[in-house]
Amino acid sequence: MFLNAVVLVLQEMIEAALLISVLLVFTHLFRSAWNGSFNLPTSWVIVSVVAGSLGAVIYSYYTPQISGMFDYVGQEVFNAGFHLLSLMLIFLLAYMVPHKSLAQKALQRSQLAAFCMAGVVIFSFVREGSEIIQYIGGIAGQDENFSPVVVGGAIGAGIGVSTGVLLFYGLISLSVNWSFRASLILLCLIAGNMGSQAVLLLTQADWLPFTPIAWNSSIVLPETSIVGQLLYALIGYEATPSMLQVAIYLFGIILIVVSPLFRKAWPQHRSLVEET
Amino acid sequence: MKKLFQSAATFSIALSALAVSALSLAATPEIELIIKDHLFFPATIVIPAGQKVRVRIFNQDPTPEEFESFELNREKLVVGNGQTVIFIGPLAPGEYPFFGEFYPKTAQGMVIVK
Repeated sequence: MFLNAVVLVLQEMIEAALLISVLLVFTHLFRSAWNGSFNLPTSWVIVSVVAGSLGAVIYSYYTPQISGMFDYVGQEVFNAGFHLLSLMLIFLLAYMVPHKSLAQKALQRSQLAAFCMAGVVIFSFVREGSEIIQYIGGIAGQDENFSPVVVGGAIGAGIGVSTGVLLFYGLISLSVNWSFRASLILLCLIAGNMGSQAVLLLTQADWLPFTPIAWNSSIVLPETSIVGQLLYALIGYEATPSMLQVAIYLFGIILIVVSPLFRKAWPQHRSLVEET
Repeated sequence: MKKLFQSAATFSIALSALAVSALSLAATPEIELIIKDHLFFPATIVIPAGQKVRVRIFNQDPTPEEFESFELNREKLVVGNGQTVIFIGPLAPGEYPFFGEFYPKTAQGMVIVK
């Protein structure tokens, strides 16, 4: 039970941790952009972690009712909704934050960025956190299992947070331009993942039609391997994605690739720190 | 005359769409899966290849369980003393293991597609 708790909590936490890390790298990089006028305090993370945890408790409390909605596919509908809302927030971040109309409005720009990033993190916490709460809640009644599960869960959470910290420092150790580019590439994949997960959930609920498996890469990289699990948590890697999933994933990538934020990273003969 | 034709066409398209969806709704077979004492009953499910199947999972334990399968690409929480529905397939013939993420040592099963 102990090991199971470590793995389970780790899997849930690591998704949120990696997401926070990437967004924190953006927060850090945005300070150098826009001539240092971008005043986005890092406290948005703490606020969204607290709000997300609260949201997870509420969502977990109402899970039985939500579960029964829409002919027992309420969970899929809500979770897909969270994923799609997160995708919209990433879209806002990539399109509206660098928009010309906000060029001179540092306050609004940083508020919008904080809103988008916090929203994505909160949704992630609500999804993953409620699963952890359900798990621990179920174990709570079993005295012999309770403390190994709590300890295991704490260790799993610790490993998850550490991985996030590693990713953060790994990204900001690059040059400013390459930090930005690497983070943007990750943002593209994260956006793709949001759409792909929503599609998977709705297919599971029979709200979207079946499409054949696009490929089977379990020979190259099985989903159950450590690298496979890590890639699943970071960018939603799947060994057997459906064609609709792949299509939406590509759509998400393209959406961010053509965004103004992405194009800031590959300007012609200009570095990130300069601003027109 | 043109308006009448247009509304007739719309009506018949809507009616046939409804008929098709009703047909596919009626055609989805259902299989029951029970979780009890952190075990799946039956542990082995056999379904025909190329067929979408509705799996109704009844959790007869007081604790929640999470039905998960990497091969099937399905993951769903079932609350204690509750039920839920997931759709699997159409699948190619083969064996697709599944497990309960909360109690994986005991809750294990297999979907065999023939």
